[in-house]
This record gives sequence, structure tokens and C-alpha cells, in this order.
Amino acid sequence: MEIIIQQLINAVQLGAVYALIALGYSMVYGIIRLINFAHGDIFMVGAFIGFLLAVKFKLPFVFILLLTMFLTALLGIAIERIAYHKLRNAHRMSLVITALGVGTFLENLVRLAVGPQTRQIPAQLSNNILHLTNGIVVTEDKLLIIGISIMLMIVLWLFVNKTLIGKAMRAVADNIDVVPLMGINVDMIVSVTFAIGSALAAAGGIFFGQSYSIEPYMGIDLGWKAFIAAVVGGIGSIEGAVVGSFILAGIEVFTVAYLSSNLKNGIAFALLIILLVIWPYGIMGKPSLKKV
Amino acid sequence: MSLLELNNLTVSYGPIKALHGITIRVEEGELVSLLGANGAGKSTTLRSISRLIPILEGDILFNGKSILNLTAYQIVSLGISHVPEGRGIFPSLTVMENLELSSWTVKDKKKIKHNLSRIFSIFPRLEERKNQLAGTLSGGEQQMLAVGRAMMTDCRLMLLDEPSMGLSPLLVKEVFKVLKEINNSGTTILLVEQNANMALKIADRGYVIENGRIALEGPAEHLMQDKRVKEAYFGKEKK
Repeated sequence: MEIIIQQLINAVQLGAVYALIALGYSMVYGIIRLINFAHGDIFMVGAFIGFLLAVKFKLPFVFILLLTMFLTALLGIAIERIAYHKLRNAHRMSLVITALGVGTFLENLVRLAVGPQTRQIPAQLSNNILHLTNGIVVTEDKLLIIGISIMLMIVLWLFVNKTLIGKAMRAVADNIDVVPLMGINVDMIVSVTFAIGSALAAAGGIFFGQSYSIEPYMGIDLGWKAFIAAVVGGIGSIEGAVVGSFILAGIEVFTVAYLSSNLKNGIAFALLIILLVIWPYGIMGKPSLKKV
Repeated sequence: MSLLELNNLTVSYGPIKALHGITIRVEEGELVSLLGANGAGKSTTLRSISRLIPILEGDILFNGKSILNLTAYQIVSLGISHVPEGRGIFPSLTVMENLELSSWTVKDKKKIKHNLSRIFSIFPRLEERKNQLAGTLSGGEQQMLAVGRAMMTDCRLMLLDEPSMGLSPLLVKEVFKVLKEINNSGTTILLVEQNANMALKIADRGYVIENGRIALEGPAEHLMQDKRVKEAYFGKEKK
């Protein structure tokens, strides 16, 4: 029992990182129907910005987190403006290929700047061991990471559902052509969406870097997994991205704990395929119905 | 000075010309109907005013000033609101959220409240359903929401693209009655319709557009008596 709970905590931590990435995939897809394959690399750049701020400037954790989120948000806006904006009405395939190109560009840019070797973000959070009931132990940083991630998701949910800009984002997802007729600048809404998605991925990058080493190609594997989590949850849906991420992380963590780490990806993806067979639009996704 | 002037407006979709230099004037306070068959260029005219499509030649003046160098979303803050063909509501937002969004350009909170209560007094159904998802509304209710949204933008000029489309004759009557009311309380309306009979009944003046050219224009009661209009439109009426 203790082991199960212990593993559950690990799964929640990994799921939180997946979710922070998956949200950006889902939100961007929701508003402009683009699978932003550069998103995993934006997550990677976020981790490296955090690394530089920690190593070179030795800032306190809160500032590292906020500044990294801010700078990565700017990167997201710039990528959309430079690479995707002109293609808004182009064939979707052109956009996807551009996104893959942007991703490759970011990987190589970071590799050129800092080299291909793996790095460790110096531990920013105390890893004091807390003893919970029944011999369950958890480190403080783990709890903090889980807590901040969940808080970010709640803030996002409130933003999207309660603020006027959030409502405009959902309106763009519904019917992008009509939004300008309400006097709303669609470009601004798209920029906000890229900014939020990139900032969340950056937070994921820093949290990931607290437990694992980072390198310029780390965004490929994690990006794919977060993308798949978003699809399984129902791409375009915020709640779906979170649900899919925790399911994926849960399957992975428990496969490693009880079966074999070699089977991790195999079993995880087999189960995800089964989930998609049951829910072809994802767990929280809806088939796109357009009323005429 | 007219509130809206289209001067020699020419629009093309690729090599195909959709409008061949049309000239239309709408005076402040008027209700003007733009009639024509499918594909005559009615929607294209409205879409050019809203700056949704590029213009080849000619000019559009609103309140005496050219609006050619503005983009679609900037038109709304000038006071032009466009109710698109097919209504264009946001189905996964609630009725209230649809209305809130269209007050985006209105900064005065009191005015927003005032507009909202005016909409709810004209369309009590919308108030009853304000927390319902707009996609679950009936076609008639969606049309009311689309008109309500235009009122929320606090517009001086309302452009309507086929508000009767897909509605039962009874609902069409109701919608047109409301449009007349909105017009009577001071909002200028440019109405695009295939339902010539209904559109001319409430209009002050009308234009008939054929193959991208203005074929006829004049006071509504004259057009209703005009032989060509009668043959072209009233003869075909199914009722």
C-alpha cells in the first residue's frame, strides 16, 4: 500500500510536467488548428533559460520561474509572428512542416549555444524529506512542484472561463472568422494563447529540470508524450490535456514499478491506443459539429 | 453627408469579378434593403464594408471618412456591426458570454448594462436562456442572439446578411418587426435579403443587385410596385 501511494506521488509529479506541456499543444490546436510540433522544443528552451538564470545569475527560485515563463512567452509570441502568422490560412500541412522546422531550429540553436552535453539545473528547492503517515515519505520539492503546477492549471482554467480574453480565446476556437466582427483583434488573441502555452511549458521545463538532467533534444521525447496525452484527453480541451497527462504518467510510473522499465513506452502507448479506440475524439474531446 | 457611401465599389475573387462598381448610399436613420438573387453580390457587398475581403477599386466612406485602410476588427469601434450570414454565434459559449464578448469595444460599463437590459426586453427568450450554451438554441433564438450581439457593440450602422434564412415565416415576421423597432430607435440598418417582400415592407429604400451591378434603386414602395422586381422576386415566392 505504501509503495502504491509512493508511486502515485511520482505519477502525479510526472503527470504535472506532461500536463504543463500538453496544455500548450491543446490550446494552440484549439484556436488555430495547428499541431505545434515545436512546442516540445519551447519546453526545452524554457528549461535552458531556467538553467542559465540559476547558474549565471543565481536568482531565487520564484524569480527564475517567473522570469523564465515571461521570456519563454515572448519566444512563443515571436515564433507565431515570424513562422506561423503568414500561414494562418495556408494548408494545414504547410503549418505542420513549418512547426517541425522551427523545432529543429530551436534544438540546433540551443546545441550551438550551450553544447550537446547534458546539464543539471542546480537544485533550487529544498529536498528535505517529509514523513507523511504510514511511512510514506516525500521530498519538499516534489510537493512544491505538484502544488505550483496544480495552481497554474487552476489559474489557467479561471482565466479561460472567467475573463473576457479567455472567453475570446474560446470564441476563436469556435469560429475564428466571426471574431473580428465583435471588434476583437484575432492576432492579439492568438499571441496571448502562444504566450500562455509557452509560459506553462517553460514552468514544466524548470520543474522537469529539478529532477532530471536537461539537454537540447529532451523536448522531442517529452513533446511527443505530452502531445499524445493531449490527444488522448481530447485535443482542444484544457481539462482533457490534464486528464490525458495524468493517465499517461500513471501508466508509465506503474509499469516501471511493477513490470519493467523496458516495457514503459510499449505498454503506455498500447493502452493509449486502446483508449483512443474507445474514445476516438479523446476522453474529453467532442466531434466537431458545425450547425449551419 | 450620408452615413455610409459605397462609391464605384469593385471586388473580385481571383480572376472573377463579384462587384462591378456599385454605388450605394445609406443615410443616418434609414433602413435600406439590398435585394438580389443568390450569388448576385449581396454578401460580398457587406463583407467589403466589414473589410473582410480586399477591394479592387472604389471607396467606402463611413461618416464621411474612408475606411479602406482599416482592418475588420477596427470597423466595429467606428460603430459598424455586421450580423453575418448563418448567424455566426459561438456555439460552445453561453448566451451571456456571446453577448459579453460583443461589448469588447464598449468601454463604458453603464452603457453595456443598458444595452444588455434593452436586448433582454426585446428578446425575453435570451434572458431566460442566458446561461445556456448558444449551440443549443433554436434557429430563431440564434438569430435573436446574433442581432442582440450586434446591439451590444453599440453600433450606429447594423449590417444584416439574410436574417430570414432558415426561419419559419412566423419567426421571420418576428425578426423583421424587431429590426424595424431597432431602426426606429435610431440605429441605421443595411439589410441584405432574398425575401424581397418582407425586406421591402420594412425598408425606407431599396437597391436591387444583379450580377454585381445595381440594377434598380428607389423608395421601397416604388420597388414593390416595379414590374421587374415583381417578376423577379414575388413571382417566385413559394407562399
